[in-house]
Amino acid sequence: MSGTTILKPDLGFVNEVIRSGGESLKKCYQCATCSVVCNVTPEDKPFPRKEMLQAQWGLKDQLMKNPDIWLCHQCSDCTAYCPRGAKPGEVLGAIRKMSIKEFSAPGFLAKMVGQPVFLLVLFAVPVLLLLAEGAGHVPAGKVAFGLPGGFLFSMKWIDPLFTAAALFALASLGLGVRKYWKAMAADLPADRAANINLGAAIKETVSEILAHKRFQKCETTKGRSTAHLLVFYSFIGLFITTCLAFVKMILDPGTGYLAYLHHPVQVSDSFLTGLFAVYKIIGNASAVALVAGILLMMSNRFKNAKKAGMGSYFDWLFLTIIAVLGITGLLAELLRISNMPAAYPVYVIHLCFVFFLFAYAPFSKMAHMFYRATAMVFARATGRG
Amino acid sequence: MAQDPILVIGGGISGLTAAIEAAECGCEAVVVEKNAYLGGRVAQLNKYFPKLCPPLCGLEINYRRIKENPRLTFHTQAEVTSITASGGGYNVTIQVAPRFVNDKCVACDACAQACPSERSDDFNFGMSRTKAAYLPFDQAFPQKYVIDGASCKADCGKKCQEACKYGAIDMDMKPETLNLKVSAIVMATGWNPYDITRADNLGMGKVKNVINNMMMERLAAANGPTSGKILRPSDGKEPKKVAFVQCAGSRDENHLPYCSYICCLASLKHISYVKEQYPEAQATMFYIDVRTPGRYEKFYWKVRDMEGVTLTKGKVAKIYNAQGTDDPVVVIEDVLSGKKVEEQFDMVVLASGMEASQRTRPVPVSVSYTPEGMIIPSSLPPGIYASGTAKSPVDVAKSMQEATGVALKSISKLLSAGGAN
Repeated sequence: MSGTTILKPDLGFVNEVIRSGGESLKKCYQCATCSVVCNVTPEDKPFPRKEMLQAQWGLKDQLMKNPDIWLCHQCSDCTAYCPRGAKPGEVLGAIRKMSIKEFSAPGFLAKMVGQPVFLLVLFAVPVLLLLAEGAGHVPAGKVAFGLPGGFLFSMKWIDPLFTAAALFALASLGLGVRKYWKAMAADLPADRAANINLGAAIKETVSEILAHKRFQKCETTKGRSTAHLLVFYSFIGLFITTCLAFVKMILDPGTGYLAYLHHPVQVSDSFLTGLFAVYKIIGNASAVALVAGILLMMSNRFKNAKKAGMGSYFDWLFLTIIAVLGITGLLAELLRISNMPAAYPVYVIHLCFVFFLFAYAPFSKMAHMFYRATAMVFARATGRG
Repeated sequence: MAQDPILVIGGGISGLTAAIEAAECGCEAVVVEKNAYLGGRVAQLNKYFPKLCPPLCGLEINYRRIKENPRLTFHTQAEVTSITASGGGYNVTIQVAPRFVNDKCVACDACAQACPSERSDDFNFGMSRTKAAYLPFDQAFPQKYVIDGASCKADCGKKCQEACKYGAIDMDMKPETLNLKVSAIVMATGWNPYDITRADNLGMGKVKNVINNMMMERLAAANGPTSGKILRPSDGKEPKKVAFVQCAGSRDENHLPYCSYICCLASLKHISYVKEQYPEAQATMFYIDVRTPGRYEKFYWKVRDMEGVTLTKGKVAKIYNAQGTDDPVVVIEDVLSGKKVEEQFDMVVLASGMEASQRTRPVPVSVSYTPEGMIIPSSLPPGIYASGTAKSPVDVAKSMQEATGVALKSISKLLSAGGAN
């Protein structure tokens, strides 16, 4: 050993981990049960014991540039077997929240999404934007969202608004992921940095994610991979639905794509009887899968709470947003089909939650898919597994 | 001066010490022991601290003191079923199970040889079997056979009775109920090895050749199931590579949240047993922290420095059977090197902790327990005292010190009650 390593504990960081759902952090006595019962950790320098020590010592830098915090899928086997009730699964969840905050810009939004006191302010944004656009206006006649002259047409800026929110989120996430990658790469030994095969790593990671292979190694919370698979594929389905609606808008200009998403199926509509009728089927199937998946996730959380911990505000905010979004989406559709004007307010609530999910994605737990995928690619590309 | 006796619940090292000390001071003492023999857990040990001598030697001395003292009486296979306060003392009820063997027994073994039924030998933790007519172990005190009523089929035409030349077998013995008035009570109810099958990741009962530390004592003891030769249970092979797993159930809020105090030293002692029999054997002790309090630190240094002994920091949290063999594999994270390691052994010894007996077998006294089932001494009614592992995990020496202390307290209570009579 040459030279001296000076550790710089960041006590503010320790306290923030504790406040963010890792309140059991200090109970850890480093026995390493957690690393042994973990089925998803690499063998060399396994997690989560070392992360528990780094967090106790306030070694923020080491944790922030560490791919392992995202390789953890919070199976909670560690939490179930922890002899001290230190809940490593929950602590790593809190660290991941802080990693999101560290890398997603602007920082003030990350801070607001992480704290319950700002919840109403965050919600006020879509509510005010939608009201300003005329969401309060209820058209007379048959209940419809997307027909020419219908509800959505009273909101002129709705497409640009949602598109802008999505683009903002993508830009922030893109920058965040880049920063995270750089932080991880900066710490890489030269021999490992020289052998990066990014293409293969991405390919392997995508196939792993599509099959949820790693997730299925969880034991204590076995059912979680099924619930996550449902939600994951429903998001892909809803993304495809949106893209198809967008294509239709280009082919059939004059209305918005949001309008097409909520267009009632009419046999006389050549687009709908043809290829594009498919998007309605995909959209509805995905919505049902989404609601089923998210409710399953919530019930799993309650079922496993004793062994795995209850989760933090950050977790439940994300679950609730998706659950309300899914339920109000389906409800609005049913009310519309039943020609009940209650469809309009339900639909506005649905839009608020969609906006919340889109605009705040880089700061909420939604960001996990980007950061975790990045860490998984990085780990594979650099031989971490 | 007619005084009521001191009741001692538990005939282990703590209870015997309290009763003998009190009796030798001129007081009446009554020991109630649930086993068919006195000596408790200590009788099961191969060697004990601090001198690593055979405990039966120390127990012998106590047995002689008992035999020579008319003021000390004891009941084996007996349990206290009720305790009620009465005029400064207590009325107690004792249930005595039938031994089916009377005092005429000379321990000639004829009954056991004639007996056709067998039972699992609980003294050896099920690693051997005895006849339904049996002597708990060779130096058992009282030196009298027992007939296990549950295992005796009684359809053999009473072969044991015919075989006994001394008329010592009495199959008509009935359970007895004794009522006593006592002046003070010592609770020396002792401990059980924690049932580590409850830790589903440690393989006890599922993975071959995983045993607990008390089983290791029996394997090493000359009067044990292997006559003192350490052999692994599945195939009788001499183990040349043995793992010792510390904190198997202790310091674990899912099991026993406290440190059981004795297990680190017990495992180091077991390593010395293994090295004594197989000097070339390898022994690895996996620990969180090695806790060898006081002067025992020296013993830790001695074993640590033996050739072939490795002490690895890292808790074993997974044990499985290596495929196609009888060998267990332990999984750890070596904390000092930061590597997750799997290592194959011939045998694994789990250092299962001490669980207070009253956690599974409560004593009929109004008393507060810690959440882990330990007696809180200050909550005991006046004139009732706790000693030894009933109130915290302790070693033999500490148990005996405490026993002497509660003997003095009981005598003082007895004398003050005597004044009131």
